[in-house]
Amino acid sequence: MEEDPNGKHPMSATTHIHQTHTLSHEGNGRKISVKVLRQSDPRGGSHWETFEVPYEPGMNVTTVLQRIAANPTNAEHEHSTPVAYDSCCLEEVCGACTMVINGRVRQACSALVDSLLADSPEGIELRPMTKFKVVRDLFVDRSPMFAALKRIKAWVAVDGYHDIGPGPRISPREQDEAYPLSRCMTCGCCVEACPQFNDHSTFIGPAAISQAILFNAHPTARVERDDRLAVLTGVGGIVDCGNSQNCVKVCPKDIPLTTSIAKAGRDTTLYKIRQWFGR
Amino acid sequence: MAEHEHQAAESPADKYYFLIRRLHSLTGLVPVGVFLVVHLSINAMVLAPGPVGSEFQRSVERIHSLGPLLAPVEIVGIFLPLLFHALLGFVIIFTCQSNAQQYRYGSNIRYMLQRATGIIAFVFIFYHVWQMHWFGEWAGGGRFRLYDESGGALAATTTAATIQAAWWIAPIYAIGVLSAVYHLANGIWTSLITWGITIRPRSQQAAGYVCAALGIVLSLAGLGALNGFRALNVTEGTAQKTGHSVTAATRDR
Ligand code: HEM
Ligand code: HEM
Ligand code: SF4
Ligand code: SF4
Ligand code: FES
Repeated sequence: MEEDPNGKHPMSATTHIHQTHTLSHEGNGRKISVKVLRQSDPRGGSHWETFEVPYEPGMNVTTVLQRIAANPTNAEHEHSTPVAYDSCCLEEVCGACTMVINGRVRQACSALVDSLLADSPEGIELRPMTKFKVVRDLFVDRSPMFAALKRIKAWVAVDGYHDIGPGPRISPREQDEAYPLSRCMTCGCCVEACPQFNDHSTFIGPAAISQAILFNAHPTARVERDDRLAVLTGVGGIVDCGNSQNCVKVCPKDIPLTTSIAKAGRDTTLYKIRQWFGR
Repeated sequence: MAEHEHQAAESPADKYYFLIRRLHSLTGLVPVGVFLVVHLSINAMVLAPGPVGSEFQRSVERIHSLGPLLAPVEIVGIFLPLLFHALLGFVIIFTCQSNAQQYRYGSNIRYMLQRATGIIAFVFIFYHVWQMHWFGEWAGGGRFRLYDESGGALAATTTAATIQAAWWIAPIYAIGVLSAVYHLANGIWTSLITWGITIRPRSQQAAGYVCAALGIVLSLAGLGALNGFRALNVTEGTAQKTGHSVTAATRDR
């Protein structure tokens, strides 16, 4: 979602809470140093800019960015522009606000300033993700993630809106396997941390692999199972994973990505064998 | 099949990409991985009790009993698979953008080391084969000899003499052994994921302990063998032309 340059958006209940905080506490005079890697347009040319933001208890990085937007004066006391960023849900379910915070990729809305400062008292460093094109400042274009989902047909195909009766039953055991995978919010953390996902590799990335496994386990979506496996056995497919297991460690939704990757390794091998031996 | 049709437009390398990468994994295990285990075990025979080097001599003789078949077996069974694995390994390394500095997870560091030890092993194997194997003779290497002119056993003494020729050769061998062993042990761990055998974190962790144990045992065998050759007294051994030349060699310490 496009961010209003004022950093205020209609859904933001948290904004109000934090503004009340500002009024009641007026901080405690402490300032947080916030270093932001800025870029004015997609063509490149980035530079660092530091802001001093008054500390408020319970702040998260999105609040920090809202405060900067409300008063975009940098540490050199020059008038600057609000820092652009993406956000929507403000509760770590949409994935839009993903950025690199103190060297680790995560969501701005769930990055609490208190715990960030506990780990690095010098301040907070914000960078856009490096694996996507920067639109502006911390706002990146995650469309390659969605293109990958299209390639692996991350959907349950139904051919109309008419009532086709109840769907097939899914056992509680299958549900327990599928539910964690369904929590993916296509945020991009996993591909940002993946050493195999970069400009000189065509790797589709762990999120899409895991979604292929999710939909292949669904009794209706299984119809397109071989199409998904064909993509995963192609160039940029499962074999381009190098098993560094960074993806599973940075995933904010604790999705068992490496389990999906191992299953994809097995399923693709069996698929190829079936294909060579004509089923 | 539908996917077959749009695969037709791809280049052969693209079409067989999956097969090629599965072969990369397989060649790492069999034959190259198996070779490394056998090779280090045979080298460790130098530590066997009894007359110095005689057990090592017998083990190498068993392999050389292939006679004229030895060279083709070595080429098809070791060198070509190794070359395939190594060259594709370099291609794979070019698709990697390591971030072990930024994300210091154990698994990420092992991933980075898998690539680094592959490169080190590649350089070492070139140097080592040139130095030992008769393939390297034309370029001034090929120091390994099974027998002298009168049929005396030379396997252990020539190997030891090669390793002792300069002070820096043994350290290079230590690095080569540790790199190759790490690469194999960690490679077995990743191959179990590649082939979908260890799927869940718990089985992957258990496999990790087994691979680490294998790595430690192989490292001890390799470094033990290296030390055995380093400590072998070769000055009299190589000079003697009797059939007992090797038995005449003694351990330094
Ligand atoms: C303890 C350290 C080592 C010793 C003493 C040692 C000794 C030898 C000797 C004497 C040969 C010549 C054998 C012949 O011509 O029949 C040889 C060959 C060879 N070694 Fe090693 N080696 C060691 C470690 C390694 C390591 C770590 C590798 C890595 C994979 C390796 C790879 C090879 C290869 C590929 C050949 C040629 C193939 C063959 O002759 O069968 N070696 N080695
Ligand atoms: C000492 C001889 C070698 C042995 C025993 C060996 C063995 C292995 C094994 C078992 C794997 C695991 C495959 C998998 O994850 O499925 C592997 C992976 C790999 N090897 Fe080797 N290898 C050797 C030499 C080399 C050389 C010389 C290179 C060249 C630089 C190399 C580069 C690689 C790379 C890049 C990988 C990772 C592949 C991936 O992540 O898919 N290896 N090796
Ligand atoms: S798998 Fe996890 S890290 Fe990757 S996109 Fe989905 S939620 Fe984000
Ligand atoms: S395990 Fe594979 S997909 Fe996950 S971060 Fe490592 S290389 Fe990328
Ligand atoms: S705004 Fe939705 S995850 Fe942060």
